[in-house]
Amino acid sequence: MPEVAVIFGGPSPEHDVSVLTGLQAARGLTGPGGPGGNPRAIFWTKTGDWYEVDPALEAEAFLEGVPRGATKLQFVAGPDGGFSDPGGRLGRTRSLEIDAALVCCHGGPGEDGTLQAALDLAGIHYSGPTVSGAALGMDKLAFGTVVAAAGLPTLPRALVTAEGVPPPFPGPYIVKPRFGGSSIGIDVVEDHATAQARLTANPHLRFGAVIEPFRPDLTDLQVGVRTWPSLQLSAVERPIRASGSTDILDYRDKYVAGEGMAGANRELPAQISSELDKGLRDAAERIAALAGVRGVARIDFLSDGEQFVVNEINTIPGSLARYLWVTPPIPFPTLLTDLLAEARQRPTHAYSAAGADGTVLRSAGSIAGKLG
Amino acid sequence: MSALVPALADAVDSSRWHHGLAWVTVALCGAAVLPAGLRWLRVAQREHYLAGAATRFAMRWWRVLPVNPALLLVATVAAAASLWWPIAGVVTALVVAAGPLGLSLKGRTSALAWTRRLRTLAVVWLVLESAVVVTGVITGPASLLAVVAALAVPLVVDLACLVTTPLEHRLSAHFVDAAAARLARVVPTVVAITGSYGKTSTKGHVAHLVRPTRTVVATPASFNNRAGLARAVNEHLADGTEVFVAEMGTYGPGEIADLCQWCPPDIAVITAIGPVHLERFGSEDRIVEAKSEILTAADDVVLQVDDPRLADLADRAHEQGKRVHRCSATDRSADVCVLRSGDSTRVSVYLHATTLVEDVEVPTGVQPSNLACAIAVALVLDVDPSVIGSRLADLPSVDHRLQAAKAPSGVMILDDTYNANPAGAAEALAALGVTAASLDPTADSAPRRRVVVTPGMVELGTRQFDENRRFGAAIAAQADHLVLVGTTNRRALLAGIAMVTEGAVGVTTVRHRVEAVEWVRAHLTSGDTVLYENDLPDHYP
Repeated sequence: MPEVAVIFGGPSPEHDVSVLTGLQAARGLTGPGGPGGNPRAIFWTKTGDWYEVDPALEAEAFLEGVPRGATKLQFVAGPDGGFSDPGGRLGRTRSLEIDAALVCCHGGPGEDGTLQAALDLAGIHYSGPTVSGAALGMDKLAFGTVVAAAGLPTLPRALVTAEGVPPPFPGPYIVKPRFGGSSIGIDVVEDHATAQARLTANPHLRFGAVIEPFRPDLTDLQVGVRTWPSLQLSAVERPIRASGSTDILDYRDKYVAGEGMAGANRELPAQISSELDKGLRDAAERIAALAGVRGVARIDFLSDGEQFVVNEINTIPGSLARYLWVTPPIPFPTLLTDLLAEARQRPTHAYSAAGADGTVLRSAGSIAGKLG
Repeated sequence: MSALVPALADAVDSSRWHHGLAWVTVALCGAAVLPAGLRWLRVAQREHYLAGAATRFAMRWWRVLPVNPALLLVATVAAAASLWWPIAGVVTALVVAAGPLGLSLKGRTSALAWTRRLRTLAVVWLVLESAVVVTGVITGPASLLAVVAALAVPLVVDLACLVTTPLEHRLSAHFVDAAAARLARVVPTVVAITGSYGKTSTKGHVAHLVRPTRTVVATPASFNNRAGLARAVNEHLADGTEVFVAEMGTYGPGEIADLCQWCPPDIAVITAIGPVHLERFGSEDRIVEAKSEILTAADDVVLQVDDPRLADLADRAHEQGKRVHRCSATDRSADVCVLRSGDSTRVSVYLHATTLVEDVEVPTGVQPSNLACAIAVALVLDVDPSVIGSRLADLPSVDHRLQAAKAPSGVMILDDTYNANPAGAAEALAALGVTAASLDPTADSAPRRRVVVTPGMVELGTRQFDENRRFGAAIAAQADHLVLVGTTNRRALLAGIAMVTEGAVGVTTVRHRVEAVEWVRAHLTSGDTVLYENDLPDHYP
């Protein structure tokens, strides 16, 4: 009997946030108004192992690592693969027949296409971005370039390398990891030389860093986008920064409130002019198409109250952005049901071997002949 | 005397043992063994399955006045009487089933957790108990041996612990091998921290100072033994980790050497030596020896040299060619020195006598010596001193170590419940004074009260009475009221209070911390300060 699974955790700095999102989603599925049933909770550890855990666990069960009573799973990325329980010494392997999976992983391989590709190979239907949507969303440079090329307003963004030249815009700058979540490893620096120095000093910049002008005058505005049953935008939200010392929404502001993203302070809907609101919504719709949004994504903008620029996209946002859907209010179980329906009905890949009909092989002659 | 021999011969005559009533005794003793077993198995679990713990606690609990010694006497007399009248063993069974009064089956603070390890121990224990009873049934005196089995439950639990220890070692080998393989693959810089106290705090400080510069993973709280460290590596050491900060605890010699064999440190830290777990080590010299096992494999060694024994270790390590980093909370010429500036929440940091930062605000519970060790580690890891300086500003407080908070009633609370050593207790009293003094005066200028809630300190071996008496005297000198929890250290603390004649200090005795909290809620008002010093789990009398 095919079942629904919730996948969370993963080797990423936002592992703990992902645990919260996953547990919330599991509750949403089994709670009132939800599709019911017995969702499986699949926990991806920081070290890359897979376990099935009780979906009714509380967050503190994960404090020490793998919760007690978890069953170790193995994952095979191939046909007839997927998740299975190799069983104890008696060795009877039991496959988990998963009809649709809710992917609740943030950052790292859970949100950059790695997990998506593995699930594609295993033939498991899943919610959220496809491989390419996830990869584009995690690459700040690529996303910024796509959006700018489409004519949408963005801050200029350039790559920082050890041997590169200063960017064509003046400092101070904000330096961010090119790949990664939106709240870890960001630095504000005065000049390009300092930015280059940060490349070796900041471990999160190891795989690439982007640099933008630092604009403390701009504030954050965020919009949720979901694509099933049809494209729908949420209200615009203005998150409130808790700490006064840094001017950027950082990890502690967003997540240490206790409920993950759902608990952070916010102004929702944001008190902005209707022109700005319309501008943001139009941009969000265009970005949904450009970035291949699937599932629910959160698009982050920066604004001075009148103009706006596109900042980033989160293709698997914290708490699946459930708190954004207020006008009209959409209950969390409905969001989850729609995500699962989309997972089943909008395919993420279509491998095709059409065209490989043997012609090339037949006319190849001998391989040795080709090499000699 | 001459009457005794025929009496004993009479007793050994096996025909009396197969009397119907004797089987009643066997059955009831067998049944009584089960709740008794649950009780002492829980104690063994809370005491980390160390052999000897159950018996030690049994001796403590059966001495708790007013009722327990009497009950024990009754049980023993009945056991002796069962030599002649087997049915007397029923009384022993009843006493053993009821157990020492006060030691509950389920437990309030720490319930019995049926982990795999406990289940294995329970099975071994049950087998041993059954062996005693079965021996009795086979050889003759069934009810006598059943009574013995009932009385000796704590001893048998200890024996089972002894038997299962090598078994557990073999079972954990699988996880240790996986952990060693993972360490060989990830190859982080390993920072290993040990010490009688300060390990967890120092580990937290290191992680905080290093985090902006390197990807760092620290072992979660209380994962400091063989099984815990292996689990931390297997479940938390992600592939890209550059620095792994491991807390290494030990209850006896050889344990740290064993850990360092498969998790060899690159940087080894010893934070302090004190009479902690003195009961199990025997002497403080053996503590020094056990802790120093951590230094063998490391090239960089960080030692808190205010303790002369650690200063000696530092010199010896230097002679062996290791890079030694001496840390101090008093001596400015040390490699790293952290000094408190006047009042207790600001510190200044000096590197080789050069000032790094001055008068930085840190949370109440941060100990200068721990911070100095952490700074030394960060420097070895090539963290820029200016980064260290800026990270000090938002150093997080350590859970339950002098954590300050204000209750809704306006009472200031200092939570030092995770502290269990004499040096920390002295620091806590000093912090109590400073915190109380810093509060605004009460509205009606009534005198502010400083209250200490404590059960005293445990596991100090032969020093336990003296250290608690000294603590009692310090409380009498620096506080206005003591709420004494439990009976474990009652005599010692009261003796200490009696030593200080000037200044009236009130004393209230309660059985459990819950009652102490109720007392605090009922009697203290805005402007008063209360220090919760140490907290004993409920398997302590």
